[in-house]
Amino acid sequence: MTDATVTPEMRADRLRAGLKRRYAREGRFRLYGLLAIGVAVGFLLLLLGRIIEQGHTAFYTHTITVPVYMDPARVDRAYPQGTNFELLVAEQQLARFGVADDAQGTKATAMRSLFSSELKFAAAARIQSNPNLIGQTVPIAAPVSDDADLFFKHAISRDTPADQRRLTDEQIGWLDRMKDSGAVAAHFNSGLFTKGDSTEPELAGVLGAVVGSALMLLVTAFIAIPLGVGAALYLEEFAPRGRITDLIEVNINNLAAVPSIIYGLLGLALFINWMHLPRASPLVGGLVLALMALPTIIIATRSSLKAVPPSIREAALAMGASKTQTVFHHTLPLAMPGVMTGAIISMAHALGETAPLLLIGMVSFIPGIPHSIGEPTGALPSLVYIWENASERAFHERTAAAILVLLAFMIVMNAAAIFLRRRFERRW
Amino acid sequence: MKFNLFRAPENDAGQKDPLDTPMMGGAVLPAAASGTRDESRPTPTDGQPASTPAMAAPRATHHGGGPVGPTKIAARDVSVFYNGKQALYDVSLDIPDKTVTALIGPSGCGKSTFLRTMNRMNDTIPGAKVTGRIEMDGEDINAKSVDPVLLRARVGMVFQKPNPFPKTIYENVAYGPRIHGLAASKAELDSVVEASLKRAGLWEEVADRLHSPGTGLSGGQQQRLVIARAIAVEPEVILMDEPCSALDPIATAKIEELIDELRERYCIVIVTHSMAQAARVSQRTAFFHLGRLIETGDTEDIFTNPRERRTLDYITGRFG
Repeated sequence: MTDATVTPEMRADRLRAGLKRRYAREGRFRLYGLLAIGVAVGFLLLLLGRIIEQGHTAFYTHTITVPVYMDPARVDRAYPQGTNFELLVAEQQLARFGVADDAQGTKATAMRSLFSSELKFAAAARIQSNPNLIGQTVPIAAPVSDDADLFFKHAISRDTPADQRRLTDEQIGWLDRMKDSGAVAAHFNSGLFTKGDSTEPELAGVLGAVVGSALMLLVTAFIAIPLGVGAALYLEEFAPRGRITDLIEVNINNLAAVPSIIYGLLGLALFINWMHLPRASPLVGGLVLALMALPTIIIATRSSLKAVPPSIREAALAMGASKTQTVFHHTLPLAMPGVMTGAIISMAHALGETAPLLLIGMVSFIPGIPHSIGEPTGALPSLVYIWENASERAFHERTAAAILVLLAFMIVMNAAAIFLRRRFERRW
Repeated sequence: MKFNLFRAPENDAGQKDPLDTPMMGGAVLPAAASGTRDESRPTPTDGQPASTPAMAAPRATHHGGGPVGPTKIAARDVSVFYNGKQALYDVSLDIPDKTVTALIGPSGCGKSTFLRTMNRMNDTIPGAKVTGRIEMDGEDINAKSVDPVLLRARVGMVFQKPNPFPKTIYENVAYGPRIHGLAASKAELDSVVEASLKRAGLWEEVADRLHSPGTGLSGGQQQRLVIARAIAVEPEVILMDEPCSALDPIATAKIEELIDELRERYCIVIVTHSMAQAARVSQRTAFFHLGRLIETGDTEDIFTNPRERRTLDYITGRFG
């Protein structure tokens, strides 16, 4: 037998050889781990980098300040908003540059397209607040149009052949002259955060969608968290173990895996067609997202309840605490960090959910900022979807900006989750 | 109430320090010493002082014979089933008041199961069924009219592993009086907390940090905190399920000392793996084996003169 001939030296050699293999295996495993993390971080950085690279230009914009002669012949004192200020400004600007227009007013139209429609609202507002300005020359500041903005951000290049860019050589010449005269200023694009959606990129903002998303999440949180935690508590602490409980458990686990668009269909049928709740409202959105978040919250809560050591339950019961007192004084507080984490992660998930929102009408163009949960509104992910599909090129940088806002929203929520977990965490 | 039925004062005189005189009851059974040593092996933290088994000085404490108090709990034909599997067979046992009754026996013999029938903790285990009759002061505790929550206020329990709530020391002790509505005011609650901690011998150590977490105490302190928590509701019976098996010898000695003091006021039932401990702290001993109560009697009798062969084998370390 070979065993019999093994000398201590051979044993030592074998051990050493085996040891080498073991260490090599451990080294390889560590390497795989590092590689996996490296790849994950790499992709994340790539994603973030790409979005930031695309979106950072949306955070600043250009404003032009033009002197406007409030021509008494054209500005109506009683109804200043009826005045075609854009044409007025364009013609005055052409005159200033010494350009003669043709009979169709082609040049004035070309000049007009460099200003945003905000110009006419700003001018009308000035006259409305002070009608005595009629007959005087007033400097009016307004954003430049999306194309002009893109030109100033070098996204439209003068090197591109003229027939392939959205600005003619002449328009570029005018923009250069305006910039050289100091009329154009770059500044932080506060409108992005203070305005609702708009068909004009230079005037479009994410506020409506942010408010819509926040309202929707509030509805979701108020419905899904109490319901989910309550259901989990009952199932875990009170329900008799049996076939029905098992069946419910299996079904809850299955619900967590149902595609979100199905929840959208359910919401459309149940809340809009049957209950006649207002379409595209945060209420309906929140209800649908609550349905979707419920299984996740139940599962997370149950597993954190399971993790509470049974000795604590026994201690409370042996003290003569009732089942309910045991649960609410001891088990639930100890499970709270897990419950919070589960709830907030499912909220963050709900925040980014787009598919169900498409079905309940949230992809419609809604320019306003909602004031209640019954009003139609957009949501951040659906805004991203709408802007990404928009034909104006300036919307593309704003899409990336909206994604960044969405990510920031999520980071804030996750930070809240970590804070709450720390706050509630107790050791035993 | 029944204080006149205290055991003779001589008991207390001899038990000031469980360490200074080993209390092994069976002087005539040197073999019991080896049994103790074997016994301590599975639970090394059990912590019998090394010298204890070897020294067999009999103590005046466990004089044999005579009832030690009126019967507090009377169990008759108690059987327990877990999911149809019988764990305890027809146990009939009288547990006297103002006495420490030790339940001993090898692992899985049903002693903890029996302990848990006395405060109906088996109710909390799904699939557990208790048959037979358990009377406390003549009243059937399994009767429909008895609320397990109220019963557990009368029958406190201390577990093997110290399990203070992850709250402050004060909150731990105040929890029972609070949920049972026993203290009318903050001042009253404060005094209950102080009295309970004093009785559990913990006051000196924690008086200045009542509002720090109870889980920050050492194992022995935690176990005394848990005892303080149990006595804060003034129970009549205290059940202890191997209260020292997770503690070091010094902490064990303190708990044993405490048990001996508490005996004046409460009916104490202690499950223990350590026969030396049973001999040190108890006046009555019941030996369980394979789910059956084999023998019961005064501790000294059990250790010196067991009637049953299996008892002798167990306490002399032939099995278990």
